[in-house]
Amino acid sequence: MRTMLSMLALIFGTVTMSAQEPIYTTFKDTRVINTHSTETLGRRKLDVRISHRFGDIAGDRGGFKTFYGLETAADVLIGVEYGISDNVMVGLHRAKGGGQLPDGTTGLNQLLNGVAKVRLLRQSTDDSRPVSLAVLGVASLSTAEAVDNEDLIQNFAEFAHRLAYHGQAIAARKFSDNFSLQASLGYTYRNVVPFEDENGIFSAGLATRIQISRVFGIVLDAAVPVSNMRTADNGFYPAIGVGVEIETGGHVFQINLTNATQIMETGYIPYTTSNWLDGEFRFGFTISRPFNL
Amino acid sequence: MKFLYLLIILGLFGWWFTEKPMDPAGVTLTEDASLAEVLSQLGAEDHPFRPDTTIPGVSVARGASLVHTGFAEGPNGKRASKQSANFVCTSCHNTVREDPDLRVADPEARLDYVVQQGVPFLQGTTLYGAINRRHFYNGDYQQKYGELVFAARDNLREAIQLCATECAQGRALEDWELESIVAYLWTIDLKIGDLRLTDEDKMSIEDALDGKGNKTAARKLIQSYYLDYSPATFLKPPANRTEGYEDIVGRPDRGSMIYESSCLYCHENARYAFFRLDDSKNTFQYLKKHMDRYTRYSLYQVARYGTSPMPGKRTYMPNYTEQKMTDQQLEDLRAYIEAKAAE
Repeated sequence: MRTMLSMLALIFGTVTMSAQEPIYTTFKDTRVINTHSTETLGRRKLDVRISHRFGDIAGDRGGFKTFYGLETAADVLIGVEYGISDNVMVGLHRAKGGGQLPDGTTGLNQLLNGVAKVRLLRQSTDDSRPVSLAVLGVASLSTAEAVDNEDLIQNFAEFAHRLAYHGQAIAARKFSDNFSLQASLGYTYRNVVPFEDENGIFSAGLATRIQISRVFGIVLDAAVPVSNMRTADNGFYPAIGVGVEIETGGHVFQINLTNATQIMETGYIPYTTSNWLDGEFRFGFTISRPFNL
Repeated sequence: MKFLYLLIILGLFGWWFTEKPMDPAGVTLTEDASLAEVLSQLGAEDHPFRPDTTIPGVSVARGASLVHTGFAEGPNGKRASKQSANFVCTSCHNTVREDPDLRVADPEARLDYVVQQGVPFLQGTTLYGAINRRHFYNGDYQQKYGELVFAARDNLREAIQLCATECAQGRALEDWELESIVAYLWTIDLKIGDLRLTDEDKMSIEDALDGKGNKTAARKLIQSYYLDYSPATFLKPPANRTEGYEDIVGRPDRGSMIYESSCLYCHENARYAFFRLDDSKNTFQYLKKHMDRYTRYSLYQVARYGTSPMPGKRTYMPNYTEQKMTDQQLEDLRAYIEAKAAE
């Protein structure tokens, strides 16, 4: 315990020192595509976010009959995030949720999501702090109506069954003005899962930003569940996204393609059953509008 | 007889003490003496901008907090709402000295001075010595704020309120907030040492204080050492934005100083502006590309005209007057941006 406290003191001590020559804008947003970045909102900044994931572009559920997914919505999120300090932010979102299991049953949907992120360390120009570090916590509460079927997780025999959590440690380095790389390790826990599924899932993530010009950048990310159960053979796939960021003088618009059907970590890590190679990826976008408070 | 001598000596002592000032060694002007107080001792009219400390809640600490953070704890012990969501006073104003010579508004000299002092190079005039000024929103500010400047031109309190509501796009200050700011400004008033008086002038003033010189002349002498207003002349972008200002050659080294101490002060990591600027080549190329355009990303456009607050987006960029950034300095900035873009 004492060692842990010493480590925390060291980390927070470093945070105090990190005011000197920090590296800014490792990523341009608090999210890469699906995964969070090490970025946090500035103090007293309010970010209104709207994210949308359409239906499959191709595959069985895509194609012209859904106008390549544009006529269906896999997930929609609307919410606000707020910077308590330059290194601490919290958020609250409502998301439709689009999680699905390989057998066609739905995951935990109709969610209220609480988010908290703390940046512990910020990369410095002199490399005395070579990376930025952040920790993320997400709690999702399903407000879906309970169904009278014990085989479904929506049975919600107990209130706790409506809840799922996610914790993540994120490390990122801005190698140059045009290239940033991020790695993360996460743990997602669902209070109730389908029969023979596992409650706790570890996951590893990788993300990058390649800046083409001041306005255009390409972002990529992947979140891979580390589980013997979540394999392609069992119908689960890593959530992989590729996107274009467009900065227009203070606003960053992002359009992306991803096979993930849910926006929040408690959804896309356990419930991604869409496969890029089968055309089961979708168009998505995020609008982020910051305000000063 | 001895008693008579003693009486005469005591009488002489008594005369000497009644005729001489309290300081037997004469008045010495100290470097940290308040300029306003010295003027008062020289018979100046009562200063019109003394804080009203009879209002509950008025304090220097609250004034300092409002100026630097936009917040202060109110008289009821609760923190009042932030004065402006967009800016604080120090977004556009320093609170320390920023001109080496207080008699002139010279942006070239100021740039060297502020860089040396490690403070930003800003559009607004420093609040240091604000209570020593008598005129506000001078010159061309009428073009920007119209009739609103009339009430503020000779009244510090009105000027602060105009700054709060128009410049900072925030709410009007409560009485206790306004008087607290005035009280704080009195702590950063000009000091005699700021004037850098010549020894000869200093002696003249000391003599006047000592009752041996002309007090009116001494007041005028002191007032000749600083401007009691901040001149403001609005300039236009060059007629040809591709060519820039005629017959001016930019100096990239000076431009670097301006970029660091002016542009990045507000735009780095979106400190005040949502439009981020940094030292990346992408950013310099972007600024270079927009240089000759008529958009808010054009250096000439925003420096000379600024941008305007809009509903839902009240944060804007104030313009630079001639006294805050010369045409030469604008070309210096351009030269630096273009040099960095070409690296």
